[in-house]
Amino acid sequence: MKTFKLNYKLLLTLLLGAMLVFFTACSDEDANANQDNASNDNGAADNADGDNGSEALSGEVEFMTISLRPAFDDYLDGLKEAFEAEHPDVTVTINDVPYDQVEQIILTSASSGNLPDVMNLNKDFVKKIASMGALVNMDEAAADVKDTFFEGIWETGEIDGSVYALPWYTTTNGLIYNPDILAEAGFDAPPKTYEEAWEMSKVIYEKTGAYGEVIQPEMHILMPKNGISILNEDSTAAAFNIPETVELWTDYKSYYEDGLFPIDVLLKQTEMTELYAQEKVAWWATGPQLFRYIKDLSPEVYEKSLGGAPLEGKAGVQAANPMNIAVSAKSKSKDAAVAFAKFVTNAENQLEFAKEASVLPPVIDAANDEFFSQGEDSEDATERGRYYAAQALHDAMNMSLDVSNVTEINQAIEDAFVKVILEDLPVEDALAEAEATVNGLLQ
Amino acid sequence: MYKTRHAWGFLSIPLLLLFVFTFIPAIAAFILSFTNYNVFQPIEWLGLDNYMRAFQDEKFINAMFNTVKYWLMVTPALVVVPIFVAVLVNQKLRGIKIFRLIFYFPVLVSVVVTALLWKWMFAQEGIINYFLSLIGFEGVGWLINSTTVLPALAFVTVWQGFGYYMLFYLASLQGVPDALYESAELDGAGFWKKHLHITIPMIKPMIFFVAVISTMSAFKEFTLMLTMTKGGPLDASTTAVLLVFEEAFQRLDMGYASAISFILFIIILIITLINQKLLDKNPN
Repeated sequence: MKTFKLNYKLLLTLLLGAMLVFFTACSDEDANANQDNASNDNGAADNADGDNGSEALSGEVEFMTISLRPAFDDYLDGLKEAFEAEHPDVTVTINDVPYDQVEQIILTSASSGNLPDVMNLNKDFVKKIASMGALVNMDEAAADVKDTFFEGIWETGEIDGSVYALPWYTTTNGLIYNPDILAEAGFDAPPKTYEEAWEMSKVIYEKTGAYGEVIQPEMHILMPKNGISILNEDSTAAAFNIPETVELWTDYKSYYEDGLFPIDVLLKQTEMTELYAQEKVAWWATGPQLFRYIKDLSPEVYEKSLGGAPLEGKAGVQAANPMNIAVSAKSKSKDAAVAFAKFVTNAENQLEFAKEASVLPPVIDAANDEFFSQGEDSEDATERGRYYAAQALHDAMNMSLDVSNVTEINQAIEDAFVKVILEDLPVEDALAEAEATVNGLLQ
Repeated sequence: MYKTRHAWGFLSIPLLLLFVFTFIPAIAAFILSFTNYNVFQPIEWLGLDNYMRAFQDEKFINAMFNTVKYWLMVTPALVVVPIFVAVLVNQKLRGIKIFRLIFYFPVLVSVVVTALLWKWMFAQEGIINYFLSLIGFEGVGWLINSTTVLPALAFVTVWQGFGYYMLFYLASLQGVPDALYESAELDGAGFWKKHLHITIPMIKPMIFFVAVISTMSAFKEFTLMLTMTKGGPLDASTTAVLLVFEEAFQRLDMGYASAISFILFIIILIITLINQKLLDKNPN
């Protein structure tokens, strides 16, 4: 019986070969990246007139969407066909990916040099990869359509003073509420402001055992809604360690001690949909497109629910929360990709999609459609919620920070608040700690 | 010569797969651990900076501390509990195969499904707190309390894993000659003495093996934390591999994530070598 002898020389050669291939691939990619980035500004400027440009567009455009198939197959296929009919030399392929795998798919695509030409991304991830030069500057490439969008929503794709994504669809909050719980506590209408909401919550909790207002893990939204800026004007330092925040967090802490809201939701251990469907909470402020989850979980609870206006904080503004469309800076068909991104986000296509998906259009013309002025008296919670959310759209402002590590900054603030609630850390200490962390992240 | 050619023929495909999907990524990750690779930008060589950073990074130190705590909870339980179960299901009783299947059943359930089931059961208003309330105990926030979150996760790991290790012990137990037990019985040995002086020494190599395997698995645990707690509350259940995932895929710091992976690899290697040495000293 022969025994194997490991051929060390052969193994070493193979290893060195593998390393050589790896580094050669990286350096080629980097060289291409730099070349692409260098030409990007010119390309983007050339594209300023987008789909009505003077030159015929050509090439292949891959469009990555998030969790839209099969529910919106007809709409997406219609988009593709309409664009290809306008531009016969362009071929569009649409790949839908699951919501929770978007970032991994983008990273693996990017590392193999196959980033989709046009991508549906959330605003925080747009900032992260835009800061690394991965996306086309839309302030330049889509300058001609910039004014068609609500300003507050357009700015949500901004980092370092430039916008890197076109808002596709957006949500502002509406309110779904359970009139039975309100009636049991002696109320005939939902609250209009957070102040009113907490006062009602005390009564509701005492009389029915249900919760009213529930703090969700979005302190970075609650604070601006109450007039507290997270960062200073030029986004170089934390600006939230002020007496107003101390007062706000101290109030929240006392509400928690009074049992007025559960910690599970804040720690993402329980979903608001579950609490609402189980009639453990009187209202839920969220995008009306999410009300359908209540319908899925408990049709009876949805049936008796009504829609209302979102709660107002001291600043009297609402947050815009758009889904964006970005174009890869390395796209081989950049002109066609930018044109397709503009086509998808034009007023006509946004309006059609908004009607199908119960979302709101970030383009002013589409939002002014009479469809969004209907539903004020509807018995259906989603229709009525959509009416109020659409009204809030005009005052919606960008509450997304203009920095690449926005996720880490939001998390630092969230963690500090959880320490106040869970570990009894004094509010002042928690804010000072969060301020130091955020300032560290900004350096 | 003929046999050698055939052997290489059979080995070539697995070796190629191993080389392409294991060795090359591992070598690439090792090299990347000395860089600032973030997928989108050109790579810069950082030398040992990522490794130095890890030892000053509170998040990494906390994650390693959590990993070691979790390991200390999981591995002893996974070494000891399956021995008892294996001894029980090694009895010659009618229908014993059904019991073996029942104990093995959790192994067949996917980790994500297991995690979701236990997440609901551990919820503030879940079934565990309901049963506790029936006997007069106040509900515990199992997954939202920094003190209870790791023991709760360790419990789920043991629940899901003990059937797997039970099979190893069962195979080992079936190799222990009955004559040894019969002689011990003649000498007046009871249940505990028999197992302490015969079973344990006879299955010692398997005990070491289970210790090594469960150690490696405890250090690599990730899915349970991601699904049940996302590392919370306040990073109380963030383990080293979860931190690698966060650094790589959420912060896009692939270089640093690779460095953490290699630190973890070295720790597991050291523990495995220590176990191997002990095993060599106690072959049977």
